[in-house]
Amino acid sequence: MNELQVLWAALVLYVLAGSAAIFAVIWRRRPERFVLAMMSLGLVLHTASIAMRWERLGHGPYVTMFEILSSNIWSLMLAFSLAYWRIPAIRASAAVVMPILFMMMGWIMMADPGDGTLPSSYHTVWLFIHIGFGKVFLGATLVAVGLAGVILLRPTARGAQWFARLPADERLDDLAYRCMALGFVFETLMLVAGAIWAQDAWGRYWAWDPLETWSFLTWLALAIALHARVTFKFAPRTGAILVIAVFVVAFLTFFGVPFISTTPHKGAV
Amino acid sequence: MQQPFQLTFLKALASLKLTFAALVVLAAVAVAFLWRDDVPGSVLAPPLGLLAVNLLAAIVTNHSFRRQGALLAFHAALLALVLLVAASRLTYLKGNLELADGGEFEGTLVAVDAGLLHPFEKLKQLRFASLGFEIDYAPGPLRQGIRNTIELRPPGGVPSRIVITDHAPLTLDGYRFYPTGNKGFSPTFVWHPADGGAPRVGTVNLPSYPLHEHGQALEWTPPGTDLKIWTMLEFSEIILAPDRPSSFRPPREHKLVLRIGETRRELVPGGSAELPGGRLEYRGLRGWMGYTVFYDWTIPWLLASSVVAVLALGLHFWNKFAAKPWNPEPQDPKEQ
Repeated sequence: MNELQVLWAALVLYVLAGSAAIFAVIWRRRPERFVLAMMSLGLVLHTASIAMRWERLGHGPYVTMFEILSSNIWSLMLAFSLAYWRIPAIRASAAVVMPILFMMMGWIMMADPGDGTLPSSYHTVWLFIHIGFGKVFLGATLVAVGLAGVILLRPTARGAQWFARLPADERLDDLAYRCMALGFVFETLMLVAGAIWAQDAWGRYWAWDPLETWSFLTWLALAIALHARVTFKFAPRTGAILVIAVFVVAFLTFFGVPFISTTPHKGAV
Repeated sequence: MQQPFQLTFLKALASLKLTFAALVVLAAVAVAFLWRDDVPGSVLAPPLGLLAVNLLAAIVTNHSFRRQGALLAFHAALLALVLLVAASRLTYLKGNLELADGGEFEGTLVAVDAGLLHPFEKLKQLRFASLGFEIDYAPGPLRQGIRNTIELRPPGGVPSRIVITDHAPLTLDGYRFYPTGNKGFSPTFVWHPADGGAPRVGTVNLPSYPLHEHGQALEWTPPGTDLKIWTMLEFSEIILAPDRPSSFRPPREHKLVLRIGETRRELVPGGSAELPGGRLEYRGLRGWMGYTVFYDWTIPWLLASSVVAVLALGLHFWNKFAAKPWNPEPQDPKEQ
């Protein structure tokens, strides 16, 4: 099997896991062991696919849109699988999270899997550190989005039925806040590591290029959301809207800006 | 009992709502950077200044804030970052220079952007020469790493050689010189003045290659004259191949086309042309390398403050969340 076939097999397993999780919520069943098994097996195959490509090309999954989507689907699945495994009480939030991942899986199937060449500015250990911190940030935010989605869906009749088993909104809000706090720490680390990389690669630690500015906006959005929660003592629904807003800004930063900007941050120098 | 006006004012300055407002203004400024390229960095000063004042007031007036050591350390580190960025803006330097192979840096930059208090006299004392560079290209062509041999020539000291790369700049007295992808070809001329004056050797850095592959021409003036010499490099071989690995190098065969008014001349290495005011001898083609120069003494302190901020933030959240389990009890649906 080649790396693409292994990847498609992994995606099929993710889709099985996600579909089972969604139908479990709708029909109020609990196939949790099956979901966790499919997620885990999918992650094993996905890891193998990434490793095969890495071995073949000599560089990691961070050059082309296909590679970036693949590595992010992997890290987001890993983050959510860990949350699904370690925090059983919030497993039903998979019904909110998995559709987001399905969208990314659809996107990767349309992306060109062709090879890319590693730009010279990517030959640094800070690349791994910067990307690693970013992945933890986005993973934590995704878990928060699942919880926020539950809070926002619950006032509807169906939402109330689907998510009846989950803890009360206040507890979910607290958990989402924890995930956002964790994300804030790692977003800060990502900015610091990125500044070190930029100094190394381009001779300046900050230049307000579009990706830097969007990353700073994401950091500010997180800071504003966390501060607003302390300042205004929001109801869980308002807090949930802020979580979604932060995720939208972060998603645009990760998957929108690098591919519409031609500035050096794309690594094309 | 009525509070003194100063304390009331300080408490108003320490308000969390003011923090929120300042953060929103800072976000608006960041959005402005996205929309327009000509927004000056100084527009950051009001929201950052407001946040700094707000934070200082909070440290003075808010006892509960001061009791949370990690949170206080995080905000103090943020305050230090703001102050360091201000100091950085006053003393930084960003610039560019170009050196032909064998050429010496004599403290002059072709473009410079510096803070009001930048100590330029330090830069003027630096001396080094570029002895040549190698750049490999992957198919595309896509630039790979740069290896640039530098000779350090400290005034009164012993010269020494080092190789700098994209990730290992030349660091001299706090200045970092980074080789860049901005490089090209540089014809070397000797100008022999007709009045018997001493011959002058010089180079003309043609536009960046391969960025201006089809525009390798430049107008220049020999020293001590008002001649306008338009010079174009012509060669037919492919230097950077799109379909296979290659390296940057001068073409093996080439000629220079000169236009002086209506006169057209062609030169190959070793050739010369009689011009009004003197004789122009063409010695051959070299490479030139463009460098970015960066100076900011605050960098290690910015890094230290950032590390303190992150550690303190992590500790604050750890203390906050450790008391309560992450895995909450599910609701009993019957209660609903």
